[in-house]
Amino acid sequence: MKHILLACSSGMSTSMLVTKMEETASEKGIEVKIWAVAQDKAFMELGKADVLLIGPQMRFLKKKFEKAADEEGIPVDVIDPVAYGRLDGEAVLEKALSLLS
Amino acid sequence: MENSKFMQLLENILLPIADKLNNNRYLSALRDGFMVALPLIIFGSIFVVIANFPFLDSVMSENAFARYQEALGPASASTLSIMGLFVIIGIGYKLIEHYKGEAIYGGVVAVAAFIILTPQVLEGVAGVIPASALGAQGMFLGIFTAFISAELYRFFVQKNWMIKMPAGVPGAVSKSFSALLPIAFTLSVFLLVRILMSFTPFETVQNFIYTVVQEPLTQLGSGLPATIIAVLLIQVFWFFGLHGQIIVNSVFDPIWYSLNEQNLSAFQAGAELPNIITKQFIDSFLVGMGGSGMTLAVIILIILIGRSRQLKEIGKLGGPPGVFNVNEPIIFGLPIIMNPLVLIPWLIAPVVVTVITYVSMSTGLVPKPAGIIVPWTTPPLLSGFLATGNAWQGAVLQAFNLFVVMIIWWPFLKILDKNYYETEKSGEETKAS
Repeated sequence: MKHILLACSSGMSTSMLVTKMEETASEKGIEVKIWAVAQDKAFMELGKADVLLIGPQMRFLKKKFEKAADEEGIPVDVIDPVAYGRLDGEAVLEKALSLLS
Repeated sequence: MENSKFMQLLENILLPIADKLNNNRYLSALRDGFMVALPLIIFGSIFVVIANFPFLDSVMSENAFARYQEALGPASASTLSIMGLFVIIGIGYKLIEHYKGEAIYGGVVAVAAFIILTPQVLEGVAGVIPASALGAQGMFLGIFTAFISAELYRFFVQKNWMIKMPAGVPGAVSKSFSALLPIAFTLSVFLLVRILMSFTPFETVQNFIYTVVQEPLTQLGSGLPATIIAVLLIQVFWFFGLHGQIIVNSVFDPIWYSLNEQNLSAFQAGAELPNIITKQFIDSFLVGMGGSGMTLAVIILIILIGRSRQLKEIGKLGGPPGVFNVNEPIIFGLPIIMNPLVLIPWLIAPVVVTVITYVSMSTGLVPKPAGIIVPWTTPPLLSGFLATGNAWQGAVLQAFNLFVVMIIWWPFLKILDKNYYETEKSGEETKAS
């Protein structure tokens, strides 16, 4: 079971992506837990996650998240803007899994 | 290619600014502080709306209506009207949390410091704290006090000026003792400041900050030019795919909320509303139109004139969240970011809407925002109605503004659609041959 955490300004737009990613995951039979939170809550949730992806509009927070995620030993990356705009669950799921492997 | 170099250059300038503004510990504590207050503010706002339902005053007798309003009054008096207090607790808490200290002491020490600096005499009666001091009027003093008290507290904790309990004493007991001296030192500093200030012509620190900082700043922020600058900044940040609202809010929120509070007290007193620019002006009439940049109008336009598959797809994806003012799909999907073709309507439309809204309120065509905080996810038309204190004119203004944005966007979206359509068609032809 992989735990994927998404973060954006208020967890609204990333939560739409969560639904799409879950659809892809269940189609492919991948066991994942995916959830989205507002950026200020993300620090508290880090401990439960295996990977953190942040919305491209919050990419100026990447450094801050990298520091915190380093302490937890989990990878962080910014979601590709094109995939984000198209709510492309498959591409984002693939990215998350590739960061974990 | 010249173009993309220029974009890169701008991005290199903007990204560090966004980074500085958001990773600055004071600004992020300030933003989080307002977040702490938000649920309480919204609770109070809901009851202001209920207390002022339209036509109630004509169905009920004057006496019954007054009693009805009086019965609901405490809901907003205990939250919305004293929101400064919650912001102060939030800031103090979040700052000390940032320093990994006992966060709750950061919150309480900030409140105590603030009360020390607050005059406790009202019209000759001692021992009262004017509610206005805890709301709009004390907002800036509260913010500064929370910053300084939390910093002092941290300083004394780090200096290790604490009473140490021997091992074996229960954790909660030793914690309250270890907080004793840092709190005592911090609050003594504020008491001293209060005493010193009483010898100056300002008499109270509240008065001093209000006259020297708050009044000039809110005066500036309540004007049209400053608002247009703020709006343009939001749009420019978003053009580069950065969350403009969050970045600009961290600087403007104290001003916008103070102006909001002034309107609320006037609204509840039945007096004339002093300000046009308020938190609600921004949230309901600019952002609350489908998201920053009034993108709901763009979605409607796509549904009306879109021929290319790409635009139709974006309309479908962006429509439902757009109604609730979440517009990331359209910003990243259209795309609006880094797209020179839409830069002109992206920058112009919000400014035009700002001016139209401002003018229609200053001429009295539409009532000014009543100081009610409507959650930013409230769909347009409803949000305009609620924000203006249940006035239908607010909803009509939003509808009119959506129409204006559609007209501004129309030629540009037409070109974009044509480009996509032709690329799609030629793509199919190559595939077919």
